[in-house]
Amino acid sequence: MAESSGAGRSCPGAFARAWAKAVSGTSYLPMTQAQLEALLQRLTGRLAAAIQSEPFDLRIGQQVGAELVQAHIASAEGLGRTVEVIQLRLVRDLGLVADDVEDRMARLLATVATGYARALRDRTLDEQESIRRAAMMARAQAERALRESEARFRHQATHDPLTDLPNRTLFTERLAAAIAGADRVGVCFLDLDRFKVVNDSLGHQIGDLLLVSVAQRLRRALGEHLVARLGGDEFVILVESTAGTDDAVRVAEAALAAVSEPALVDGHELTVSASIGIVERPAAGTSPMELMRAADSTLHWAKAAGGARWSIFDADRNRRELARYALSAAIPAALDRGEFYLDYQPLTSLRDGRVLGMEALVRWRHPELGVLRPDSFIGLAEETGLIVRLGAWVLAEACREARGWADVAGDAPFVSVNLAVQQVRRPGLVDEVRDLLRRTGLPPGRLQLEITESTMMSTAEEPVRALRVLADLGVRIAIDDFGTGYCNLAYLRDLPVTELKVAGEFVTGLRAPADDPASRTDERILASLVSLAHALKVTVTAEGVETAEQAERLRAIGCDAAQGWHFGRPGPARQHLDRSPALTGTTV
Amino acid sequence: MQRPDWAPDTIDIERPSVARMYDYYLGGSHNFAADRAAARAMVEAVPEAPLMAQANRAFLRRAVQFLAESGVRQFLDIGSGIPTVGNVHEIAQRIDPECRVVYVDVDPVAVAHSREILAGNERATVIQEDLRRPAEILAHPEVTRLLDFDQPVAVMIVAVLHFVPDADRPEEILRTLRAALAPGSYLVMSQASDDDRGETGERAEAERVYRHTDSQLWIRSRAELSALFAGFELIDPGVVWVPQWRPESPEQAEDAAKAVFIGGVGRLGG
Repeated sequence: MAESSGAGRSCPGAFARAWAKAVSGTSYLPMTQAQLEALLQRLTGRLAAAIQSEPFDLRIGQQVGAELVQAHIASAEGLGRTVEVIQLRLVRDLGLVADDVEDRMARLLATVATGYARALRDRTLDEQESIRRAAMMARAQAERALRESEARFRHQATHDPLTDLPNRTLFTERLAAAIAGADRVGVCFLDLDRFKVVNDSLGHQIGDLLLVSVAQRLRRALGEHLVARLGGDEFVILVESTAGTDDAVRVAEAALAAVSEPALVDGHELTVSASIGIVERPAAGTSPMELMRAADSTLHWAKAAGGARWSIFDADRNRRELARYALSAAIPAALDRGEFYLDYQPLTSLRDGRVLGMEALVRWRHPELGVLRPDSFIGLAEETGLIVRLGAWVLAEACREARGWADVAGDAPFVSVNLAVQQVRRPGLVDEVRDLLRRTGLPPGRLQLEITESTMMSTAEEPVRALRVLADLGVRIAIDDFGTGYCNLAYLRDLPVTELKVAGEFVTGLRAPADDPASRTDERILASLVSLAHALKVTVTAEGVETAEQAERLRAIGCDAAQGWHFGRPGPARQHLDRSPALTGTTV
Repeated sequence: MQRPDWAPDTIDIERPSVARMYDYYLGGSHNFAADRAAARAMVEAVPEAPLMAQANRAFLRRAVQFLAESGVRQFLDIGSGIPTVGNVHEIAQRIDPECRVVYVDVDPVAVAHSREILAGNERATVIQEDLRRPAEILAHPEVTRLLDFDQPVAVMIVAVLHFVPDADRPEEILRTLRAALAPGSYLVMSQASDDDRGETGERAEAERVYRHTDSQLWIRSRAELSALFAGFELIDPGVVWVPQWRPESPEQAEDAAKAVFIGGVGRLGG
């Protein structure tokens, strides 16, 4: 008892020091050695009290066990060594005296161990629970982050970064859902009119701001209808569950009104208009692709009609356009299969009725549609660029055939071939012609290239130089359809033009009686043209001459040659070559 | 589903976490079966592992105590792991409740657990960041909110640098951190080393154990760790076995021969 009462709490006795030494290293103790010894000194006092308490108090030993765990002396080894040091040294070091000290020691150790194990178990369970909760929270956090980044990624993948409108991907998804979920559906394809002008004149930055502004106005005006941006200045509106075309038209009109509101963009007041192609039809049997395609082509009708309007899809018109498209797509294969051939129409001298030249006119012997005239496929070929291949074939074939025309007295007719603007612009034109002439042996003077006034107008310097090289070779250059374009006289001066082909419009007037005022006007215009041309040493051929009277009046004016039904319809070269001047119907 | 590369990692408690293994060495129960299995394998290879962890933890405690008593009031503990017993804020705030502590760990579970422990403590917080991206740590809003880099800050990189291989350019990491610190700031570092431990095969075995965890082990010599204190003046006794760093009693330093961690404290002059 002496030491236990005298030891107090400040100065650890031998037992507390031994105890501290025994437990250090059994687990991490977040305290200094002095703090540990002080703690154990206090607990030593409790143990001494327990062993001497009357009656024996179970709680003290248990509390000591629990306190050890709380102080982080919390390991199996910690308990083992504690039991050992108490058993070996407590009674001896503290000089404790009791009758049944062995019995009490056993009970004390039992209570300490019980309190210790209970506290350690609780602590273990608490820690397990807390780490599991942390793992759950971390997992929830990671999943939230994943969802957020997925949502962000999904938003980026389905929205246009400039306007934040849905993009084509999302629109197509929603359109597919609309088709699956309703009886009818409508799509409005919208495109700003002349948006390029804004970009070109004010810059792309203003252009982009304008697109953002249009996107905002559309979203505001169209409320529940999905508005998407497809790219550039193309927008598309989904009109779900329509009852009929009128529903889609109403949406289109609201969209046009929204777009045409004046907008202040970076200090510029901009007013733009839009064109809309509308498709509204039963959902059954259609697909998003088909609807989008139909709305897109309908948009082009609205554009072609001048813009600032909507057009409704017309199946018949679409069929015609598709047929036209199919026809143009078939040109390359038709060339390979040799489905094209040439007819010729004579250019006849008004002086002596001789066939001066023959214009080559391409024909397509289509396996299903029969013989097609150029007006049914040349325009398409020009739009698609196929004209270059087709034109090259025509030029080569015309040269090849013309070489075979008998040149008995050096007066075999020249062959006149139309050149499209794309052909004239091609860098290889000179080589192509030169090569053809060399291969076929056709004298350059027997080849005439016909180009239109508009080709000349839209032609840059380089092609003009090419034409000049060809003219220098001796190739004849004719201006086709003269008088229907700008009649720019500058190129007559700049270019070695050999011939003007005056458009049939002026010749038509000559059918009327000579005293008709309109007819007189046409005659005077023609006379002036002829005299102008002759002053420039250019010959004049009148096109579309259908009657002997027209021919006679043209001859009287001084026109050099004529072409038209009166002198021969287009047909095989042979038929014109065999014809004698007397049979051409001129009055010479 | 193939996880896209922008997706954050999920939590996989089947993979041993070095933070939870460390908790196990310290006698904690904040760990899962996989952590315990790996930690037991480690103890088999290096039987002193738990003692090493305890010695390292004691070094941390003495270092924080030393710093707080030297007047440091701000602590940035990078690689703080599972907050178990004797955390930096507990030690520092016992000396001065005004002490501010930011814990940083890359392990999301350790961070979630720390967040729970720190709830309600306005002067201590935790962020999930990687020691290998110090600029992001320094720019983190929680860090800038709590710590004033015009005043001294103690940066603690304790028992974590051995998870940063030389390929991750630890010298650049430390240069970045140092550049953010005011004169009078401190750097506390410790890490595993096998200096003087001879060729026992322990190192290979330990590295093998850690290959299956979330971090690989990269042992450094005293010279290598000292070099990483570049720019700081090493406080006496320099980089030593952690039990030898300012022990509270001579007996504490006795275990030095069995230690595996080396450590030291440097001061930024100026």
